[in-house]
Amino acid sequence: MRREKEAVIFTKLGVVFLLFFCLIPFLWMLIISFNERSDFLLNRKIVLTLKNYLDIISVHNLHFLSFLKNSMIVAGLSAVLSTMVASLAAYAVSRIKFSGRFIFIIGVLGLSMFPQICIVGYLYKFMSRLGWINTYPGLLLPYIAWSLPLGLWIMLSYFSQIPKELDEAAMVDGASRFQILTRVILPVALPGFFSTMLLLFIFSFNEFLFALMLTTDYHARTVPVGIALFQGLHGEIPWGYIMSASTVSCLPVILIALIFQKQIIQGLTRGAVKQ
Amino acid sequence: MNKTGRDALPFILPLLFFITIFIFLPVIGTFWNSLWQDVAFIPKKFIGIANYSRLFLDNKFWQSTLFTLIFPGFSVLLEMIFGMFIALTLNEALKFRGLLRGIAIIPWAIPTVIGARIWQLIYRYDYGLANYLLGIIGITRINWLGTPAGAFFCLVLADVWRTTPFVAIILLAGLQVIPNELYEQAKVDGAGPVRRFFYITLPLLRPIIIVALIFRTIDALRVFDLIYVITGGGPGGATTSLSVYGYRFFLSGDFGYGSAISVILFLFALIIALLFIKIGRFQKVSI
Repeated sequence: MRREKEAVIFTKLGVVFLLFFCLIPFLWMLIISFNERSDFLLNRKIVLTLKNYLDIISVHNLHFLSFLKNSMIVAGLSAVLSTMVASLAAYAVSRIKFSGRFIFIIGVLGLSMFPQICIVGYLYKFMSRLGWINTYPGLLLPYIAWSLPLGLWIMLSYFSQIPKELDEAAMVDGASRFQILTRVILPVALPGFFSTMLLLFIFSFNEFLFALMLTTDYHARTVPVGIALFQGLHGEIPWGYIMSASTVSCLPVILIALIFQKQIIQGLTRGAVKQ
Repeated sequence: MNKTGRDALPFILPLLFFITIFIFLPVIGTFWNSLWQDVAFIPKKFIGIANYSRLFLDNKFWQSTLFTLIFPGFSVLLEMIFGMFIALTLNEALKFRGLLRGIAIIPWAIPTVIGARIWQLIYRYDYGLANYLLGIIGITRINWLGTPAGAFFCLVLADVWRTTPFVAIILLAGLQVIPNELYEQAKVDGAGPVRRFFYITLPLLRPIIIVALIFRTIDALRVFDLIYVITGGGPGGATTSLSVYGYRFFLSGDFGYGSAISVILFLFALIIALLFIKIGRFQKVSI
């Protein structure tokens, strides 16, 4: 197939634009994180150093490692648990013809459109009453709930592609519905389960408003809140620490994005496009 | 409930539990709280719609409302244009297509707060990258975040950077299902790339563009993280979104008024969602 000149130029332009657009801010983050002074553009004195990285790891009262640990635990657990809960519901919706199915799906999807601010004020009071402010469960439970609409939507699109003959055969063999889900459907939908989990991990790892409102210090504070509130001893913004902490925190997400781009894109577009 | 209904219940019960307790109840609670005077250290008092009449006379509320409604307009429009450009590029048979797609989703995948911090530093007046680059081509420094218009533009750009990948990926999924024969046929008929885009790609992509529009507009309407980090709502409250404004009252312990602001934002989101759904239906009828 002969390709037209304009199309080729357009595509090349697009690639250049894409690379510049997406990567320049990251390059800037890296450069600042390895520089001794973040204002080096002023005096043109570039001194490369690892000090920022060593500090955020070793200086205890920055608490960066605690933030990272909290984020990993809360987002990890939330991703696993919400994918499981979403799979259960997606199974029922795709296989059992119960009345009100449509209202159920539309209702759950509608919830994901709610502005978070409509939830967080009440949630704060609720968690205070339970004594769960600044604890893992206080963050984890709302995260699971908040991930479920997206999880249900994506798992549903995977399940509805699996031929119903598979379950019917198992049903004839006398398997219960739960056995059909765990032994027949899930093994087939495993890639879908996995990509949903990745997406929901990213989703919870990035969440900010709930974490800002529901945590008070490093015992439960997550990376986004930690990075937003990082402050130097004298009120100045410690850019070196912020950028090195950002680089370290982005690393797992960037690796996931590059290695599993196919699965993530598939999950995202199934959730969004199948309407 | 019939037998199949009872079969389904155990499977959907866990989901219903989480969603009811942690989303549905809090939203109802917010509506209810908005009818109370609920301030720290003072006993709670039912005041009906007094919080809403206070909103009506609150200039800062109107300023935030204006910002909240204008911001999505600018940022979503630009995201659609850039997103389409990137999607068309990624749809070509390229070398390293997988890698490019991976790179494209990075701004969307990392925490918004981190992206916001990077842009905040780029916009800095004294040693920010933006002013440095302007200096190279001989333009004097701009106080990006110091003027209302500058701060608005900076927030839009940061938001466009963060969410264009999401838009691109959704549009790309739509591009991939357009049959290639249509383009081949159009080429035979002598239609150039621009005509093919406007007469084939755009009309066939319409339903997906509407989906992307719904997701993005509603998301931009509740913008919080970016503003919290980059401008803090300033200068002079010019970039305070309703989310940020409501949060301030929660923070200071005025839960009744904060709830009333949240309810208004909720209603905006609802109205816009319904509007889009209506437009979407028209589409289906016409196809």
